[in-house]
Amino acid sequence: MPRDFKEKFFLFGIAIIAVLTILPLFHIIYSVVVEGLPVLLKGGFKFLFGTLAPPGDGLGGIGPAILGTFILTFLASLIGLPIAVMTGVYAAEYPESIFGRLARVLLTIMMEFPTILVGLFVMQILVIPMGRYSAIAGALALAIVMMPYVTVYTEEALKSIPFMYREAAFGLGLTRFKVVFRVLARMAKKGIVTGMLIGMAKVAGETAPLLFTAGGANRIYFAGVDRPVGAISLLIYNLVQQPYENYHEIAWGASLVLMLIFLAIFLPLRLSLKEVKL
Amino acid sequence: MIAIETVNLCAYYGQKKVINNVNLKIPKNVVFAIMGPSGCGKSTLLRSFNRLLELNPNARVEGDVKLYGKSVYDMSPIEVRRKIGMVFQHPNPFPHMSIFDNVALGLKLNGLVKSKKELHKTVKWALRKAALWDEVKDRIHEPASALSGGQQQRLCIARTLAVKPEVLLMDEPTASLDPVAMEKIEDLINKLREEYTIVIVTHSSAQAARVSDYVAFLYLGELVEVGKTEKVFEKPKSELTKRYLMGRVG
Ligand SMILES: Nc1ncnc2c1ncn2[C@@H]1O[C@H](COP(=O)(O)OP(=O)(O)OP(=O)(O)O)[C@@H](O)[C@H]1O
Ligand SMILES: [Mg+2]
Repeated sequence: MPRDFKEKFFLFGIAIIAVLTILPLFHIIYSVVVEGLPVLLKGGFKFLFGTLAPPGDGLGGIGPAILGTFILTFLASLIGLPIAVMTGVYAAEYPESIFGRLARVLLTIMMEFPTILVGLFVMQILVIPMGRYSAIAGALALAIVMMPYVTVYTEEALKSIPFMYREAAFGLGLTRFKVVFRVLARMAKKGIVTGMLIGMAKVAGETAPLLFTAGGANRIYFAGVDRPVGAISLLIYNLVQQPYENYHEIAWGASLVLMLIFLAIFLPLRLSLKEVKL
Repeated sequence: MIAIETVNLCAYYGQKKVINNVNLKIPKNVVFAIMGPSGCGKSTLLRSFNRLLELNPNARVEGDVKLYGKSVYDMSPIEVRRKIGMVFQHPNPFPHMSIFDNVALGLKLNGLVKSKKELHKTVKWALRKAALWDEVKDRIHEPASALSGGQQQRLCIARTLAVKPEVLLMDEPTASLDPVAMEKIEDLINKLREEYTIVIVTHSSAQAARVSDYVAFLYLGELVEVGKTEKVFEKPKSELTKRYLMGRVG
């Protein structure tokens, strides 16, 4: 076989494999839009703000689930982001310390950890003692899922700053705290914020950690952090298991909403964040 | 009066000794050049003066460095670095900050100014001192990364001057600049010599001859020769210095 032909054949093969790997992604987006958009259009505003319809009777709305997803993501961020960023900063600043090394090992484990086990863990420490599902339990489970991503991104972003900037900052007679938080962390802002958004986007769509923690609520809106709360992912999970036609429709509509929220977190990441030239 | 004095100074990276028993006296308000071939330990020596060497966990220092007779190891590193400012080989203004913020940073974070007005005044003063004001006064809020290499280096000098150090360490400040930018920095050093003690590291003996009052020749971590610049250049005592000046070493 001539070499030229072999090369072309090889490239062609790679192209096919590349297309095959992204095909499922496009198929998901395609079917979510095709199935979900008509539901959204038919349901209108009521679909976004209303409460769940009875079985077999119209579309109603998924308002409590949407609000729940926002509340859970917000609370999880409130708990998870500060701890995760601090841990990332610590691991970057003191890589040789016991805590720094421990953090790195634990994080790699946590990243691969089955999220359903996180849900079980939070159920044990929060749901059972409290005697009920709650927004705070769901948020804690999501925070635990979120933290390793944010920590790793923070650590990597700080570590990628060239040593000469660290020298410049220390050379001005700044304390270590100020060097890290007032100079380097801001320099690494893009990486840190990327990590935060990836963490948030990840947990916004999570189902497993919420199964035994958030409880779900589809007919009432938010009732307090110590009360059960809905989530879009939980709602989809529950609805597709039901035998009712209208519930399947609602699930498609909810899927589209979830995908849009996901994109809403990711797009600013790509568009508005100013790149720092190093 | 002696600004900086080293006493039996040795420096190590891990087990490797890179500064060997250096005894130096750097008088106040002079330009003191440290020259020597690449890898002889110039940067290491300079960083031991302001304790910046401590950022490297592998680095270790023995002996003493005194600032106006007081050991820098009896002061906090913060205090030492405020009194002994530093300019580096590669211009390193903070790329995410404006020209103004680069100079203002040390003033703000060290609490050296009481009001916004004073901050602006001091930033302007520092930029003037660094001979940069006229070139940037209309774009003070643009990112520092938009400046040319030579301007960035003068910005770094302004950033250092703003916190009012007494001693200025310069580690090959023109090594990465073109000849025109280099000349500007050398002119600047000439202007600053009256008010500051300047220690400049260079691997170019020509530069040492142009800018310095005193010169020290460092070779493989050892101090070979030190003295008034004209004397060392006219009549070097050591054979090694003579050969270095004729371009036969390094
Ligand atoms: N971080 C470090 N870890 C280990 N060894 C180092 C480190 N930095 C420098 N060295 C070694 O120490 C010696 C002195 O280095 P130094 O950078 O002080 O030399 P220099 O005279 O400034 O050289 P140059 O002119 O190339 O800047 C060299 O042999 C170098 O390889
Ligand atoms: Mg050097």
